[in-house]
Amino acid sequence: MITRLCKFFFYLSCLLLSGLTTGCSTHPEPIASDRLLTNADEQFLWQKAEEEQRVLESSDLIYPDEKLEAYLNDIVAKLQSQTAQSDLEIRVKVIKNAYLNAFAYPNGMIYIHTGLLARMDNEAQLAAVLAHEITHCTHRHALRVFRHFKDRRSFLTGVQQALMANKGLQKLAQNIGLTGSLAAVSGYARELEAEADRVGTELMTRAGYNPKDALSLFDHMISEIEQAGSEEPFFFGNRARVRERIDNLQSLPADRYSRPRPIIINSELFLAKLDQIFLDNARLDIRLGRFQAARRSVEKFLRIKPDNTRAHFLLGESYRQQGQDSDIPKALKSYNRAITLDPNFAAPHKALGLIHYKKGQRALAKKFFESCLQLSPNTPDKAYIKGYLRQFTLSEEG
Amino acid sequence: MKKILWVTLFLLAAGCVACTHNGGRSNSTAYSFAVDIPEGWRRIDRPYLLITKEGPFLQNIMVQNRFIGRSFRYTKKKMQKKMLPEEAAQIIIDEYASDQNIGNLKVLNNSPADINGHDGFKILLTYLGPKGNEFHTLYYGFIKADTFFNLRFTAGGRQNFQKDIETFKRVLNSFQVIKANKS
Repeated sequence: MITRLCKFFFYLSCLLLSGLTTGCSTHPEPIASDRLLTNADEQFLWQKAEEEQRVLESSDLIYPDEKLEAYLNDIVAKLQSQTAQSDLEIRVKVIKNAYLNAFAYPNGMIYIHTGLLARMDNEAQLAAVLAHEITHCTHRHALRVFRHFKDRRSFLTGVQQALMANKGLQKLAQNIGLTGSLAAVSGYARELEAEADRVGTELMTRAGYNPKDALSLFDHMISEIEQAGSEEPFFFGNRARVRERIDNLQSLPADRYSRPRPIIINSELFLAKLDQIFLDNARLDIRLGRFQAARRSVEKFLRIKPDNTRAHFLLGESYRQQGQDSDIPKALKSYNRAITLDPNFAAPHKALGLIHYKKGQRALAKKFFESCLQLSPNTPDKAYIKGYLRQFTLSEEG
Repeated sequence: MKKILWVTLFLLAAGCVACTHNGGRSNSTAYSFAVDIPEGWRRIDRPYLLITKEGPFLQNIMVQNRFIGRSFRYTKKKMQKKMLPEEAAQIIIDEYASDQNIGNLKVLNNSPADINGHDGFKILLTYLGPKGNEFHTLYYGFIKADTFFNLRFTAGGRQNFQKDIETFKRVLNSFQVIKANKS
């Protein structure tokens, strides 16, 4: 009987909560029920979040770039100035991970993956994702989920069980913790996510961005997920959840968000601030075998810095490692361009050596392997290169 | 009380069966290879050959033949027939590096290797597992026809790795391809 009653109150509270959220106005106001950290539940959540962040910050997952963080935090400040929740300090950091995601801890710490940043084209798209995450913090979504559970233990067990269902994420869960994982992997209830879309859209509009820019980002993400043919492990890499974002944005009345003011897009500034992200994430995408995505990132980078050696080399790698004979001429072109720009960069010499070796062009292969060893005598793959050169010597002697 | 005793005895007996020390040679038709299984090591039921002495988290040796067209779990890269050992080694490193379950991956060695007459590669890796424990893996692999053969020794901690590395080398030296086919 008691269990039945508990269940009844649980479902009742769910219903009440969904009623509250769906009934919410679109004013970007946080829950005004009580001030921050004045209740034990919120204190517990913040304490847990801080503990989890300490583990995350000490892992090798954080992308260290202070200038980039400053740029992201400036955008957050611009968006947060449109909310009433000014006593909550919201900050952003970047995580080295090629999967599409961004998530927020209840205490205002937002993390965004290099993979999601690399898919963006301008500041407006970045503002859309940040405004969504800011709303999770200002509207205390973690606290609202927490209060669905009857006690702290059942909350932690619930999140843990959800994570265990995804066996590929145990190590990550260890790094970002349970409150981080709740936001990063499963996201919040549909109503809370819809609220983050609705309020986030208004925040970005008030800050001077066009919400339609968010649609082009989500459309691009959907087509990439479909192209890859498999879902990613996180919220923003989940086709259905991204589709929800698109549907929510499309359902907003257009006139409500149109403001007669200059619209901020900042494509050039955005590309300039994120340039290294495009290259570093392209390397991660190549590792994952996502060659097209890697090429798109490198090409974005080359629009700003067309004479960057490393970018041309990575473009070559994306073609060579794809392993299609038809891509080899493109790889050759990129490697040669990299060598023209910087003849002392050893990596493209080695790659050209491999291509010629596989084609049976021994003289050319030998030339490039030797130049690679000359430029970088301690290259980690020297044992392989020396092996190829030894074969040439043996066959010449034979 | 009597019931508990019988259950305990049954569990003990079942445990003994599971712990049977095998030894001998594995040349089952289920695999395309044969290797000597060291005395005191037991098999664990898997679609590939997996043996351990004291439990798979302490030490295990895995021998596998896989069709080169088969996708890996994390990287979308695929092995190809004409791939050089160095290129195959890179895919294995990328697979480990893309695994969200492991952290702090270090490649201590990546070099060409002769695996009983087959041109292949050898990689030595260390990494932290899902619970933060350190693992060491020595991974040998080569491609023959449509098959990627691989033999790897994984141990929890440096001490366990050093303790059984010679045993693994004996398994490696006993390795023979029976038939390179699809699996």
